[in-house]
Amino acid sequence: MPDQSHRRLTRRSFLKAACAGTALAAAAGQTKVLSGLVAEAGAAAAPWQSKFSACDMCFNRCGLIARVENGVVTKLDPNPKFLKSRGMLCAKGNAGIAQLYDPNRLKYPLKRVGARGEGKWQRIGWDEALDLAASKMKEIGEKHTRCGMWFTAGSDLQSQFVTRFAEVYGSFNVTSHESLCLLSNNRAFLDTFGEVPFADVLNSKYILMAGANRFEALVTPDSIDLMTAMREKGAKLVVLDPRYTKTAALADEWYPIRPGTDMAFMLALSHVIITENLYDAAWVAEKTSGLEELAAHVARYNPEWAEAECGVPAADIRRIARELAAAAPEAMVYPGRRSSDYENSTQIRRSFAIVNALLANWDRPGGLLGAREVGLKKPGYDAPWYDDNPPERADAGRAPMMFEEDGSYVLMREAVLSGEPYPVKGWFVFKTNPMQTAPDQGKTRRMIDTLDFMVVVDITMSDTAYLADLILPAPSYLERCDPATALQGSSACACVVQRDPVVPALFESRPVFDILKGLAGRLDLAEFFDFDIETYRAQQLAGLTGAKEALEQDGVYYNPSKVYGIYEGRIYKTLSQRIELFNKRYDQMGLDPLPVYSPPKKGPDKALRLVVGRSAIHTQSSTQDNALLNELEPTNALWLNPADAAGLNVADGEAVEVASSAGKGRLPARVTPDVPPGLVYMATGFGSISPTLTHIHGNGCSIASLLADGYDAISGNAALHETFVTVTRSAS
Amino acid sequence: MSAQYAMIIDSSRCIDCRACVAACKVANKVPEGFWRNWVKQSLPVPVAGKPGRGHFQPGACMHCEKPSCVTACPTGATYKDASDGIVKIDPKLCIGCGNCIPACPYGARYRDPVRRIADKCNYCPERRAQGLAPACVDTCPTKARVFGDVNDPESEAGRLLRANTNRLVRVVNTKTDTQPHMYYLAATAPLDWPAEAVIRPPMAALIKAVTPGVSALVGLAAVGVAVMAGREFLAGKSKDHEPRDRS
Amino acid sequence: MRKNLVAMLTLALMVLAVVGLALAEGNGNARKGKYLYRKSCRGCHAAGGAASDLSPNSHTQAEWKKLFAGWESIKCANEWKALSDEERNDIFTYLHDFAADSPSPAKCS
Repeated sequence: MPDQSHRRLTRRSFLKAACAGTALAAAAGQTKVLSGLVAEAGAAAAPWQSKFSACDMCFNRCGLIARVENGVVTKLDPNPKFLKSRGMLCAKGNAGIAQLYDPNRLKYPLKRVGARGEGKWQRIGWDEALDLAASKMKEIGEKHTRCGMWFTAGSDLQSQFVTRFAEVYGSFNVTSHESLCLLSNNRAFLDTFGEVPFADVLNSKYILMAGANRFEALVTPDSIDLMTAMREKGAKLVVLDPRYTKTAALADEWYPIRPGTDMAFMLALSHVIITENLYDAAWVAEKTSGLEELAAHVARYNPEWAEAECGVPAADIRRIARELAAAAPEAMVYPGRRSSDYENSTQIRRSFAIVNALLANWDRPGGLLGAREVGLKKPGYDAPWYDDNPPERADAGRAPMMFEEDGSYVLMREAVLSGEPYPVKGWFVFKTNPMQTAPDQGKTRRMIDTLDFMVVVDITMSDTAYLADLILPAPSYLERCDPATALQGSSACACVVQRDPVVPALFESRPVFDILKGLAGRLDLAEFFDFDIETYRAQQLAGLTGAKEALEQDGVYYNPSKVYGIYEGRIYKTLSQRIELFNKRYDQMGLDPLPVYSPPKKGPDKALRLVVGRSAIHTQSSTQDNALLNELEPTNALWLNPADAAGLNVADGEAVEVASSAGKGRLPARVTPDVPPGLVYMATGFGSISPTLTHIHGNGCSIASLLADGYDAISGNAALHETFVTVTRSAS
Repeated sequence: MSAQYAMIIDSSRCIDCRACVAACKVANKVPEGFWRNWVKQSLPVPVAGKPGRGHFQPGACMHCEKPSCVTACPTGATYKDASDGIVKIDPKLCIGCGNCIPACPYGARYRDPVRRIADKCNYCPERRAQGLAPACVDTCPTKARVFGDVNDPESEAGRLLRANTNRLVRVVNTKTDTQPHMYYLAATAPLDWPAEAVIRPPMAALIKAVTPGVSALVGLAAVGVAVMAGREFLAGKSKDHEPRDRS
Repeated sequence: MRKNLVAMLTLALMVLAVVGLALAEGNGNARKGKYLYRKSCRGCHAAGGAASDLSPNSHTQAEWKKLFAGWESIKCANEWKALSDEERNDIFTYLHDFAADSPSPAKCS
């Protein structure tokens, strides 16, 4: 691997200007940029400039080096010094250029002039746009209290400013994208270990993976380390997944477990581990609480019982339990990430966490690790208090253990639709697309229809933006100055990255920070946004010796903080101050303190269960219209088992109509043994209603149009796998 | 000994994420609908409990020892560079006739509809000139690819090749084994996809008659005009630039 | 007489205990408490401040309970006197409800 360090990055003077100004953008026309892109390599004789950045094509934030020729970004390469990603850049990362130079980008503020969803827009200037948004927010605040505004931000380094703005404006109603993703998994591990762990995959000898697809849904460093552990260190990978994913295809063993029955498998593992005394008794006695209760609880969950529920042979369950225990503590039931699956997802993931606790796969090499110290500061501010506000969030009390900073999208939607407990009439959305990613698109649409004002800040006109009253164009990650962010990389690293503009912002796009600053100024809140991002970053990095220099020199700062044994002498952040096999708080709240198995819901006769998932090519719904990624994976299809296909008289490639309680859609069938009978799968992010997304408008089918809107009873996380569909051959 | 640049691929590490495909496409400005590289897959019908048995196989131009594309090229535009072992295309000599395309058993070539000449992997010379690995190698998440001069025992590629002489797998069509310089470690699948090299008869006859003189001839200005005309004519009509199957 | 005194003392203790319990119960306004905490305490209890950097997750719920039960004896009790019982309870509720072992451990920003 060639060494990058000698490459002088002469970017400082440019950055100073780029960070300070807001709209350097306007001059660069799209045509000019595109012609620059196809320019012949004759000009390439001049060496390119190299600039550090961090990828934003998904949430991993891989360090990268942008190659810039004549002011045009021509290639994005991995930063070889970036340990969290193991110096790689995936297909999405490489396609960041196609996002930057996407001809379908939003170019200037747009005000809706037709009916909602009619797609009629008027180009307006920034002053008019910000005046409009501020006056609407003022109006809603006066009429409905400030909690009448709802703020939703996707995963972005600037999303923290949306939260800050919401707080100083005076609304409690902030939702992140995470209630459509991983909150039930976070809940489960937090309520067992007192924190959400990171998996030391690299040093693990035995990895049991259920409800996760690491070779397609890439998570760094886990996805990379999994392959290294398997091929260089002989680690064993056992995959439980109803679908034959690429992870399943590369595993040492794969079991097509029945959907919604992972808990039966995990409870049986605990049963075997306890009845055969395979756990570390001293460790469990010292660090955990509730072994007796757990032992009594799992007595009835033997492998034979589990086989009847989950379809994995009892002998294999028993053997896997023994193998896992033999490899422990350098072993793990991999925690997974997206867990927006079932109405009892928190309890399902608790059953994963409990096996890890029993086997002492914690705070040691090859197991699960607590978060490491990074040391990035969070600059404080004093938010004002508004006496007329209601006492709580609008979605409060609908699920017992929601996260204050994340809320629940599906529950907030209920609150807005019903007007209870109080009216919420305004919505500020930044870079997230619930019309495509949240269950029951029709309901989201109906909810939007009850709003007085909706503003969306995004790079392209997503389906959500398409329904807004005001759309504000944001630059891509390659065009802006972003705050520093701390990243946890398990045993690989604990690090900090930040972004400086690689090229000036295109068109009239403005970062959401500038937009919020503009709004704050118009709403008498200027004092809370009286800084620029460079100052903010300096506050974040204060006290981190060498961080600024490392970021300039290597594009990343590593904190050489302790990796293992960080809990020695520390209490666990649970009620019992120990790792809780038996959850005391759940018990006090009337929730099951130990995961109680209930069989998955049965669908109506002849109905098929719909599941969703990821490929390595696309991120949620944000990349399907990216020209390069769309070329790699241009559409979606309904995966259908040959037996089901035969019963429905559907041939491979034929169009099918799919209907659920939430809605219907049409897409081609992919007849494949990779899904079991009774189960169908489709990829996220196609079948867009927004016509400007030219690659995916009317192409394929949106999961949001079919998914029913269940949610996890404990965390309020969406439950995306509780949907049953009927499939019929398409008439045309 | 002169250099022989080659790719050593541990395809058992490939996860089919196609980072290499995207990176190559951007680095080499490959036009829409075309690719210089690919990942083939072998996914037998799944059996519960058994090892997954899936295998993903990255590939591209194999820079063969006996390249049939060189044989098929009437102008000498395609040649194997003796200094580094890389099979190259001289854009000034290529008339875009497309003969090299079926001549490659691996489907590694396409006709660039913009430049109207043949195109394929050239191991990213612009990147190597700046001290960087080819785009596909640099970006690969699982580091399944190792690139280098296999004739240099000090290079990682050379070392790997020597350490694994009895475990190397080459993917070839036995009827037209071009002796590729793309080596797979230990095992790979699928193996049955290379086609028989097709060298179009009229051209084959022509080559037989005039091979030594052709490249000298096309250097002449008069022939150069013919080259341009040929490009327009052939590129406009041929269907060889249909998007290739990436199976 | 002696009996009466004991009874009165017992009653007084009981009242104190009930008041203490009521305070420890929380049920104040955690959001208001966050605001008040930032306004009244964060001036010193911050990184680089005059006192230790304190956030709800700096302590467990039990520790916050204990601390508030005996607030009169802590260092900055004088400042606390400026707060009403309700305000103090709001601050307690905030710190307690987002404590290290709470369902949503929070770091004060």
